[in-house]
Amino acid sequence: MPLRQYFRIWLACLRYSMVRTMMFRFDFFLWTVVEFAWMGVNVLLIEVIYRHTDSIAGWNKYEMLLLVGTSMLIQRLLMGFFWTNLFEMGRNVRNGNFDFCLAQPGNPLFMVSTRKLDPDGLANTVVAGAVIAYAIHRLGLHPGVSGFFFYGVLVACGLVVHYSIFLLTTSMTFWIIKTEGVEGSYFTIVDFSRLPRQAFRGIANVILVYCLPAVIVSNVPASTLIHGFRPIHALWLVGVSIVWFAIAVAVFSRGIRRYASASS
Amino acid sequence: MHTLTKYRHVFMVGLQNNLVYRWNILLRGFFSLARLAVVCILWAAAYAGVSQIGGYSLGQTFTYFVTLIALQFIIGAFNEDYQIGEEIRNGIINQFLLKPINYYAYRFTVFLAARTVSGVLVFVPLLAIFPLLKPYLSFPGDPWRLALGIPALGLAAMIQFTIAYCFGLLAFWFLEIQGFVILSFAAETLLSGQVFPLDLLPPAIFKIAQMLPFYYMMYFPAGIVAGRIEFASAVSGLAIQVVWVALFLLLAKTFWAAGLRKHTAVGG
Repeated sequence: MPLRQYFRIWLACLRYSMVRTMMFRFDFFLWTVVEFAWMGVNVLLIEVIYRHTDSIAGWNKYEMLLLVGTSMLIQRLLMGFFWTNLFEMGRNVRNGNFDFCLAQPGNPLFMVSTRKLDPDGLANTVVAGAVIAYAIHRLGLHPGVSGFFFYGVLVACGLVVHYSIFLLTTSMTFWIIKTEGVEGSYFTIVDFSRLPRQAFRGIANVILVYCLPAVIVSNVPASTLIHGFRPIHALWLVGVSIVWFAIAVAVFSRGIRRYASASS
Repeated sequence: MHTLTKYRHVFMVGLQNNLVYRWNILLRGFFSLARLAVVCILWAAAYAGVSQIGGYSLGQTFTYFVTLIALQFIIGAFNEDYQIGEEIRNGIINQFLLKPINYYAYRFTVFLAARTVSGVLVFVPLLAIFPLLKPYLSFPGDPWRLALGIPALGLAAMIQFTIAYCFGLLAFWFLEIQGFVILSFAAETLLSGQVFPLDLLPPAIFKIAQMLPFYYMMYFPAGIVAGRIEFASAVSGLAIQVVWVALFLLLAKTFWAAGLRKHTAVGG
């Protein structure tokens, strides 16, 4: 199927999601407020800690705000575009409804990942963007068009990494049927992305910075805005996102081969 | 005596039901350790240039967060609101209306059974990493902390449960209560001191936080045990905690009476 067809399918899904949101307006409002409140909690943590100290691992308050804003932006993008789909994939594999995705004439991973969009998650990317814009303003940064371009590309890489981690966790359902609660492992990894890379020492540094892509997803884009573009860091993140995406797709494909459907 | 026997059976059944989920609880325990790692890394970095934050050392702050994790499993109400909401929606609640059983007492007994299981199991991951934690832990040894900490824990559990119970009862009016629950969870997480110790807030805001019920759900007992609350504040705090328990019990009673008038007993 040509790429244009996929794009049209995606647009149809987008339209469907918007119509659904309009039907449940109160739900949309409530969940937007919920996500907004959680972001507020993270911002307040920074506000409180920096009342008592000037620097965390060499990052000042607004640099830290930029880091947390970036981490939130990537997470909200995942929530907006992919979360519900991958979350429901686990459930569908368990109860056999996954047959429906496989029966569609298209790439199964695309069909699984793009059925629904969450406008409340997307609405909050604006809030995350505002946090980032405020931090940039307070830091007196002027990244210019190229700066924002590199930042955007690196955030997209971050989204690929988050998507891959979450796909890996939900793909476990193909092997272990009872995986309710595995999404907790995604949140656990994402929690680390709000911390500056320089704060990690010893074994934590080896595991969370170099082995798992937990920390660099947010640190590399944020540092690009603060300190300018560093090709070696950018290459690192791009490479990591390619490797993790490849692993996630391979695991997903093996999972599909194992999938035996459920009788119902 | 007869009443006690009734609820003792409920408790025993509750224990068995929760033991089924032992692996899920253990998994959650290990996820909590990862969160503890996040907290450690963040605060260790924050303490790098300073010896004290808010008058406390890194060890004391660390002790506070370890205490929090244990308390979340010992007194926290996590999905009681959801379970109660489901019982109302599915009509399971109808059977309780026909039996000589108090629904609040029944649910509270189930909650106690669930927390007994998770409260014991949380020590598995904590003991597993105890050798790593030990050098950083600094619990104060004052005996009064135990004497006041235990009732504070009990009352905090009651506030936690009763709020969750009230949220569950909202299912009499609303089809979907998860949004409300998660929204209040954000407020509770922040104002009960689970994001940072509340005494680090600006003094005026800290004073306001002390008036709110959230403070008494987690920060208050954790502060007594981990040495962030002094004797006089602990005693006055206990009194305020009793007032909050009474207010929420009253609210629960009102919700229950109003909800039953609205209830149409479909299904069941």
